[in-house]
Amino acid sequence: MSAISETRTPARTAAIGWDVGAIVKFVAVTVIALVVISPLFLLVVASLKPDRFQILADMGSFRAFWVSNPSLDNYRNVATFSGALPFGRYLLNSLVILFCTVLGGIFINSMAAFVLAWGRLPGRAIILTAFIALYIVPQESIVLPLLTIVNKAGLSDTFAAQILPWMASPLYIFLIYQFFIQIPRDVYDAATVDGASPFRIYWSVFLPISGPVLATVAILLGIETWNQYLWPLMVTNTDNARPISVGIASFFGHDSVYWNSAMAASVMMMAPVLIFYLAFQRWFVSSFISSAVKG
Amino acid sequence: MLLPAVILVTIFLLAPFLSSFRIALTNERLIPRPVPPRFVGLGNFQQILTDHDFWRALWNVARFTIMVLPVQCGFALAIALLLNSKLPFRNFFRGLFFLPAITSMVVVCVIWATLFQYPTGPFNQILGFLSFGMAEPIDWLGDPNWAMPSIVLLSAWQAYGFQMIVYLAGLQGIPETLYEAAELDGANRWQRFWNVTMPGLRQTHIFVLIITTIQAFKLFTQVNILTQGGPRGTTDTVVHYMFTAGFVDQRLGLASAVAILLFFIVLVVSIVQRFVVKDRS
Repeated sequence: MSAISETRTPARTAAIGWDVGAIVKFVAVTVIALVVISPLFLLVVASLKPDRFQILADMGSFRAFWVSNPSLDNYRNVATFSGALPFGRYLLNSLVILFCTVLGGIFINSMAAFVLAWGRLPGRAIILTAFIALYIVPQESIVLPLLTIVNKAGLSDTFAAQILPWMASPLYIFLIYQFFIQIPRDVYDAATVDGASPFRIYWSVFLPISGPVLATVAILLGIETWNQYLWPLMVTNTDNARPISVGIASFFGHDSVYWNSAMAASVMMMAPVLIFYLAFQRWFVSSFISSAVKG
Repeated sequence: MLLPAVILVTIFLLAPFLSSFRIALTNERLIPRPVPPRFVGLGNFQQILTDHDFWRALWNVARFTIMVLPVQCGFALAIALLLNSKLPFRNFFRGLFFLPAITSMVVVCVIWATLFQYPTGPFNQILGFLSFGMAEPIDWLGDPNWAMPSIVLLSAWQAYGFQMIVYLAGLQGIPETLYEAAELDGANRWQRFWNVTMPGLRQTHIFVLIITTIQAFKLFTQVNILTQGGPRGTTDTVVHYMFTAGFVDQRLGLASAVAILLFFIVLVVSIVQRFVVKDRS
């Protein structure tokens, strides 16, 4: 035994050690990943079981990971516009709010950032400072006064009430501003010499080269809008403009929860995000990082 | 071109923010009564600061923060360390581990409510298995001792992905030469972690700490959906207290005072962040 270990050169031991270590690590990461992701897997499996009592009974065993005869009944129930809780409607509402907020948000925030970065406006620095200062105000501490303003404006229970307040955001203006000021002065000057108006410069010079930062803003604003809960909970009181997050939450608070429908609705809420995530994974991760370094 | 943003921010951010200071000094109701609201001075603040329930909410948020910080950040750092080393399919794993972070909290609540199910949910089954059937099943979300730890666990699961990528970015900022130098000096894996990795992550730690604390003070969704602040107020939070006062009980003045306190708490935490970070650089 000792003879063998003595014949090994140190380099060789290191090589073998690395290989074994790498395999152990790979297996460990795989197992951890499976455990961590299992709740999402359970969600999808449960959504294919039409019997809500079966879902609960299965949860405590390995049957939770398997569905013997998958059915789309839950999705069919949930998607109809006329059900007890019209999830098709909620999903559509959420998509409308998402689309308008993100599209409007990109233009409004990037236009503001453009002026703050390049415009010849007196008091530019003051406005910029004011925006940055306002960034610190948490949404939670303004929602109640905002509710009175929205009620007075007659906007309660509308799409507008869920879109307008969150389109313009100091954080996103600042993110785009930081991108714009890094663009060399020459780019702006060259366009001015050509006689282009400020809007024209913004539209055909700055926007086309701002893909990365606009994608970041779109992703962050999109996730934020999709996951809004407190505000729509307060501002919607009928199904007209209620988003899917509040719709799903209304499953709770009854004596018996319709788990089958709740699971299917949850998958429906998750699906759009997941599709975008799979398509633009790199963008998602870098977006979250750039939101982190704003401080 | 600046105008749309300025108008929207003024109407929907600045105006409600400023008016909350005015409303907080009155007894205004959410749905106006025939009698105009009356100026009550600092009465609302006095009432909050002498309300046992408010202090309990504040204490619950503090408890939540103390519990969620080590769980969430510890796990995030561990996964980041694993993903930062040589590993096949590293990007695939990173994408996988980030999935909970893009899952909406409402969806997380649906899943975890079934996981916490009493008495036959997975957590109780695992508990029974590990204790050879000795331990009684626990009503995780209904037991005053377990409700907050359960909320902590599901919150940490949802949010660790963000900390994970922040740590990953931090780890990539540590120069490789430091590790090589440490290795030449004969430092083992453990020593390298404590003497190179941890000091190198100082900024990241501070940042993660501050962000997690601020988020913890805004804790609302999962509590509102799963426990409504119960059982016996053990998961009541500052935002939930504000929501109940302002929206459920319609006491807008009182709730605005809570909102202002919340703003100042967040402000202080943010100033501390600036101070600590500036001090370093």
